[in-house]
Parts: sequence; structure tokens; C-alpha cells
Amino acid sequence: YRDLHTFELQAPTRLIEWARGSRVYVAGYGQSDGNEILQLIPPPTLLTKETQGLCPERDFKVECGGFSERPVYSLKYVPDTSLLVTSGPPDSSLQVWQVSAEDSDIIKSVSPIATENGTGQSWAKIATISARAPWVLHGSRLDRVQITEVESRKNVYKAASGGSEELSSLAFLDCNTLLLCCATGRLCLADIRQPQSLVEAVSVPSVPCSEQWCMGTRHGAQGLEPSSQPVARLSSRGLLTLTDLRKTSEFLALAKARVPSPGSGAEFLCISWAPALEGCLAISGFDGTVHVYDTQSWDSSGREAEPIFVHKGHAFGGAGGSGDPPLVTVHTWHLQKPRTLLSAASDGSLHVWDWVQPCGKC
Amino acid sequence: MPEIKVTPLGAGQDVGRSCILVSIAGKNVMLDCGMHMGYNDDRRFPDFSYITQNGRLTDFLDCVIISHFHLDHCGALPYFSEMVGYDGPIYMTHPTKAICPILLEDYRKITVDKKGETNFFTSQMIKDCMKKVVAVHLHQTVQVDEELEIKAYYAGHVLGAAMFQIKVGCESVVYTGDYNMTPDRHLGAAWIDKCRPDLLISESTYATTIRDSKRCRERDFLKKVHETVERGGKVLIPVFALGRAQELCILLETFWERMNLKAPIYFSTGLTEKANHYYKLFITWTNQKIRKTFVQRNMFEFKHIKAFDRAFADNPGPMVVFATPGMLHAGQSLQIFRKWAGNEKNMVIMPGYCVQGTVGHKILSGQRKLEMEGRQILEVKMQVEYMSFSAHADAKGIMQLIRQAEPRNVLLVHGEAKKMEFLKQKIEQEFHVSCYMPANGETTTILTNPCIPVDISLGLLKRETAIGPLPDAKKPKLMHGTLLMKDNSFRLVSPEQALKELGLAEHQLRFTCRVHIQDPRKEHETVLRVYNHLKGILKDYSVQHLPDGSITVESILIQATAHSEDQGTKVLLVSWTYQDEELGSYLTSLLKKGLPQST
Repeated sequence: YRDLHTFELQAPTRLIEWARGSRVYVAGYGQSDGNEILQLIPPPTLLTKETQGLCPERDFKVECGGFSERPVYSLKYVPDTSLLVTSGPPDSSLQVWQVSAEDSDIIKSVSPIATENGTGQSWAKIATISARAPWVLHGSRLDRVQITEVESRKNVYKAASGGSEELSSLAFLDCNTLLLCCATGRLCLADIRQPQSLVEAVSVPSVPCSEQWCMGTRHGAQGLEPSSQPVARLSSRGLLTLTDLRKTSEFLALAKARVPSPGSGAEFLCISWAPALEGCLAISGFDGTVHVYDTQSWDSSGREAEPIFVHKGHAFGGAGGSGDPPLVTVHTWHLQKPRTLLSAASDGSLHVWDWVQPCGKC
Repeated sequence: MPEIKVTPLGAGQDVGRSCILVSIAGKNVMLDCGMHMGYNDDRRFPDFSYITQNGRLTDFLDCVIISHFHLDHCGALPYFSEMVGYDGPIYMTHPTKAICPILLEDYRKITVDKKGETNFFTSQMIKDCMKKVVAVHLHQTVQVDEELEIKAYYAGHVLGAAMFQIKVGCESVVYTGDYNMTPDRHLGAAWIDKCRPDLLISESTYATTIRDSKRCRERDFLKKVHETVERGGKVLIPVFALGRAQELCILLETFWERMNLKAPIYFSTGLTEKANHYYKLFITWTNQKIRKTFVQRNMFEFKHIKAFDRAFADNPGPMVVFATPGMLHAGQSLQIFRKWAGNEKNMVIMPGYCVQGTVGHKILSGQRKLEMEGRQILEVKMQVEYMSFSAHADAKGIMQLIRQAEPRNVLLVHGEAKKMEFLKQKIEQEFHVSCYMPANGETTTILTNPCIPVDISLGLLKRETAIGPLPDAKKPKLMHGTLLMKDNSFRLVSPEQALKELGLAEHQLRFTCRVHIQDPRKEHETVLRVYNHLKGILKDYSVQHLPDGSITVESILIQATAHSEDQGTKVLLVSWTYQDEELGSYLTSLLKKGLPQST
């Protein structure tokens, strides 16, 4: 490690979201009400490019907070506004929040965005963009994907039905293109200008036992076409696939991560690309570790890949011995510092870490 | 409604000087008397004019309580007691009483000697002030006067820091001072019992902070020290005589042992003896682990840490030195600093806050060229680092304390109003208590609901428990009695006894109602009709026709007279006592319905 900071949140979070002004959001996902949404200011050490050693301010500061009656499973900041959208069980409706850091430190709840709740629907996955207007893309199933304008609540787009599978994540590739990933691994592209069509990408290798998938998209450097960045998919058994969206008929690469099996469920599966490090991605959700891989050495053979770094901190933290070992619930990359990540676990720990690259690349 | 009034004179909504005035059941207590370290003028002292307008301080205040020896909690005490004027008792724990004067004197030296201030307290004033101090033990109930009592609880934070419970009758307030809910290497965590005060006054400096774990801080600190020592540099750590120094010593000692390091660590002379002396004296104030190991091996007698001699500063090679004073403003630490500042291999680590004007403050602000005595310029090439190990409660800790004490109301001090809104809501939602955040000079009034004890006479108790359902622990039982307030006591007695004691006679209330009946016959015939009618209906009651022409139903009397103006109408007078109200009303309405036609 070059640097490791460990923090303890009062309640564990399963999301870490960056927002404007280098703010970070975390939120509780407990079953009882009284879950808190916290807007945090990271310590100055984290915000500057160079790492200082002993800095007076090493702590996260809670800038604002709000109370949610339902567990918060997903939170997205709506760009160019002071609004947040969250979602969580028991249904697929969205909660909207107003942040007003100058006047008070309370994040106020604004009226929710309701959705038609059919049977068997779980919580909605969300993505936001502010292109023509502040929009939120949401849906819990493939046939319930829609875009709602956040301020007016107008429905702007409804995706054609391609099946009723549950979604694991969705994203805006640009202001017209959507990427939807189902829990079965199906990846679909949609153009909002053509509501009737859905383009499907190559399926993941199917296996007899059911596994869950999630995806990670990369917001590349300026100037690059978003669709030129490969999409990574991760399964609960540790399979990793890379797909180039311009050539959806075949895989770019296939690999297997060394993870404990059977996996402890797909609740917290998380995969993400490094914004400042070419070809690197991180995965977590299997145990108390976060793996970082360099995909540039991968091919389509599907053999086991060696991580370039494994963060084990969460497994060692806490009181130890009492109850289940902590499970990493989410991780995210620092937007500027190339090798810095933030990860949170089910015991409430929040780690910020920066690893040293063994001599060679990166 | 009885109320508790709280007015912060400092620490209302700023971090700086703590000084809070509490009015409870007619008693006035001042909590802490701190100095604001950032100001050079009168703003550094709390505004005492708020209280002095009520007359002499000694008459107005029943006592002053100091929570711990940090200057932002006791720095203005000599000014207050000797220059403004207060001769009443000042309460603090034993360690605080021992250490306070040292820090006050130290501070006085910087302010007067270094900065040339004139309106400041003198050494004699510090001594006179300390003469008014009454030291207390933990969990010892101290009777300030007949009605006011105080009790100190362990607060962690620094040696001798305490939280105080102030109680008058059934009303109580708990003041936390600065506290810490997580134990560290040499001090335990704060603890309080379920005392259920009407009000808990808590500091909230770190309420909005999510702190970096202690392990990371320590690891980084050790890394820095190690790196410097490895490259042959010298590390200077200026410390106060007591406090974090012990913590850091234990940390370094353990690290040196584990890594088998050879570089010498020194603790400047005078410091070792004094510090060890105080810690030994107050061994009960340290945490469990230290107390246990103290018997086998003195935790404060270190293997790798030796006493420092001035000459050692010139020795070649790496070393680590702890020296006082903590802000590099005078004395040994400054001397060493001057010797080592010019070498970039060396390092100075400031472990805490530095007052403006001191060298410590200057170098932390980035100054690298300092003017010393005699116009000499000192160029600072050594590395300057800052490490804060101060122990305060964060949001989680505050919630823990509230959960332990179960107050009815919470008041937060030491934070910024805007940023405390979230914490306020959190506390209100979780504990269903009211949470207040007053500004300096703003008075918060908290209404209390004290329980007033009342004695019940045994006779009444026996009587009341005999009637009605059996006593049930889960259901409140309604009792009837008379409350007598006599000679400063409350008693619940039976009405008869009350009358007897007060020499009053019982009044009898009698109601009489007139019912008009159409009956042209003679009165005695009407009476007979009424009698037969009632006898027929009220079979369970004793209905009698008396020789004098009246009817009685139980103890109710009915008489008939002719109407004065109309012979065809008879007037029935129905009269009953208060006790027979129900039957009386029933009879009246029955008779109003009229008599049956048959005779």
C-alpha cells in the first residue's frame, strides 16, 4: 500500500457515489426506518493529487444528512441540479431529495416518482444524466425501463419490451444511448430515438447453475466515443467478460477471477473500470476483499486471471470473531488519483486505499 | 412549570472558550471557565457581564465546576475569580486541581512575558484562585449546600477529565465537558449510569466528523518517525507536560521494541518525573490495562526512553526527543528546535493546537523564516508535520452517551448551528427528546416535570386498596384522598382526617326539587297515590309512608303541598343529600313523568 485510511460509518452502506464538488454520498440499507443518507466531504488528503503524510485534516466531514424510511440501495446525483434520486425496496418507485448545503445541513425529501408496481418487482436500478434536461433512467425489469424527467416528472421514454428479466444495472452511454444489463447476463443497447428496437450484445456463456451478472461501463477520457470503451460483465461465479459495443457478436476477452465458491450470493456484486488507469478494473462482493485486474493481458480463453492487487483490509477490520466476516458491499475509484479506491463493507467500515504498483507497468 | 435555564457564555456555537451558566431550581452554577485561544483581547474571556448585572458573583453563583485542565475550559478561571471577583467554591477532580495551575502559569508566561500583555492575571492570582478549589473524587456525591449536590463521572479525554451531574431535589443536569467514548492506550472511555437527567449538555465538536481510525494515524506517525530516524535525522516532538505525551511514549516504546530499533528516545528532564509522578498519583484515572500492568511493570517506566540532558541535543546521529513546552514558545523545546531547524533531515511533529504568536503556530502556518531574539533570523529547513491525536466524541459517541444516560432533553454546545441541524434531528428521532443548540448569550429554557414525593397515610392506603380491583403492577390505580400542604410537607390523607387536622366541620349538601302534578284531590290522597306508585316500581328500595304525611325512599324525602294559586296542581318537594344524588335524580325524573291514572 502507498496509503490506507480506514473509517467507520455508523451504519454500513452499499453505495459510494461521487457528486459535484468532490462530495461523496453513502447511505444506510437497514430494514428498519431511520436510514441515513450522508453527504460527505472527503479529507483534503484525498482531494489533492499528491499524497501528504501527516495532514491536519484526515477525516471525512458529514456535510449534510437526510433520513430515509426505506433502505437505500441505490443513489444517483442528478447533474446540474441539487437533487438526488434514490431507490430501494419494497417497490420500484424512486425517492427524490433536495440538497441545500448553504441553508441547512438537512437533505430534504421531495415527492417520490411513482411507477406502476406489478407483481414480483424489486427495487429499481437508476442512472442519471443532464443532457437535454435532468433525466433519470430507471427500472427494475427489462420491460419496465423508462426515462423520467426529474423536475417535471414527465415520462420521456419507455423501452420496448425485450423480456421480463430482472435488471442488475443500467447506464447512459451518451445522451441518446442506453445500456441495460440483466441479472441473467443479457446485455442490451437501446437508442431512445428509436423506442421500438433493442440491440442485443453477445450473450454470456450459459451455465447450468444460475448465476447473477452485473456490468461496469467506463466513462472514458474526453473526446473518446463512449461506445468505444469496452463493457465488462461480472458473474457471481467470478466469470468476467469484456465486450466491445461496436462488435457485439463476439467477446473482446474472457477471464475468470479467483473467488471463493460458492459465492455468497450476488447481492453486492460490483465491477468498475478505473477512470484514470488504462485497462484496469476492480471487482468486489464475494468476500471481504477487492480485486484489481489489468485487462490488457487478457484474451478470449477464459482462463484464470491474476489480480495485480488485492485489498484485504475489510476482512481484518473490526472486532473480529463476532458473527460473519464482513462482506465488501461496494467499491468505487477516485476520479483523479489513478490508484486510489474507496470501498465499504457490511460492518460499516469505509476504506480509502492507494496501492503501490510493483515495478513495471502503470 | 419549573424550568432549567442554560446560557452559554462561550462555546454556544463556536469552538473556543467553554463557559456555561445553568439555573436549576433556584441554584446558579457555572460550568467551566475557559479562555479562547485565538483572540488576544477581551474576546478571549467569556462575557461575565451577563451575570454580574445581577449583583455580586459570589452571591449569585452557588458554585463553579471545571471539567478538565485544557485551557479552553479553565483558562479564564484566575481572571474570573481574582479580577472579576468570585469567592465561592470551585469544584474539580484531583488531577485537574494538580495540573491546572501548571498550565495556567505556563500560559501566563507566554502571554505576559512573550507578548507583553498587561491586563492579565498574575502568578499570585493563580495561587489564590486554586485556594478556592475543592477537589472531588469520581462517583462521590458532594453536597454543595443543603439542596445542591454534584457528582463527577469519568470522561476519558485527558487525565482527570470528568462529566458532572448537578442535582437539586428531583431535577438534574449532566454536563459532559469534553469526553471520549472510545478508550485509548492510556485512558479509558467515558461512562455514566442511567441517571435520567432532565438535561444533558454535550459537546459536539466532532459530531460531523467521521474520524480516520486511530491505527492509521498511529501507523502514519510511526512511519514518519521511522523514516526520519532511518536516514539519520532527529525528531523533535514538543509536548505539554501531560496528556498526549504519555500516549505517544507508550506507542513509540512498543514500536521500538517490536522493530528492535536502536536510536535513542529522550524525554526531557523534569518532564519524566513530573508526568510519572502525576500518573502514579492518579493511577485510578488510567485505563484498565495500565492499572493491571502497573503492578507488574510500571507502564510509565520505559525501557527505551531515557531522561534527556541538554548536551544530548548536539550528539550526532538519529534520536527522538519529547520536550516541553508544547507550542515551541519557550524553554527546552524551543532551544532544541533552534539547534535542529537548519537540517532538512530532521523533523518536528506538532501534536496539538498552537496558540497564535507561538513559534509552533508560525511554522504550522507555513512560515519558514522566523525572527528570534536579537533580530536573528532562523531558517527552518527541517520537516514540519502535524498530528492530531485529540480524543473527542463523534456522532456515534454522542448517541452512545445519550443512550447510557437517558436524558429527557439534550443541549449541544461547541458546534456550528447550521451543521448541527442534522444531528439535532437524529437525536430527536432516535430518542424522542428535545434537542437545543443555543448561541452565546442566548438563554434556553427547558421545562421540567419533576416528581413531587407525597406521603400517604397508612389508614387511607389500607382503605383505598381494599375497594375496587386488586393492585396491578401494570395498571395505575386511582385513589381518592385529600392533599394537605402543611409545614413544607405534602401528605395524602382521608377527608375525615383532613377536616379533623384543619379543624373544619363537614358540610352537608341537600337538594330540593319541585315536581308539579295535576291532581285536584286532597294532598293526603295525592301522597297516597305517589306512595303506591313508587312502592310498585321501586321494589328493591325501602319506600315508606310516614305518619306525618311524607314519603321516604331510602333517605330521600318527598312531601306534597298544594299549589298556592292552583288547587288542581300539587307540588311535590323531593329532597335528598349529595350522597343520594343518583337516586334523587332518578326519582325526580320518574315523578315528572306523572302518576298512573288508577288511584
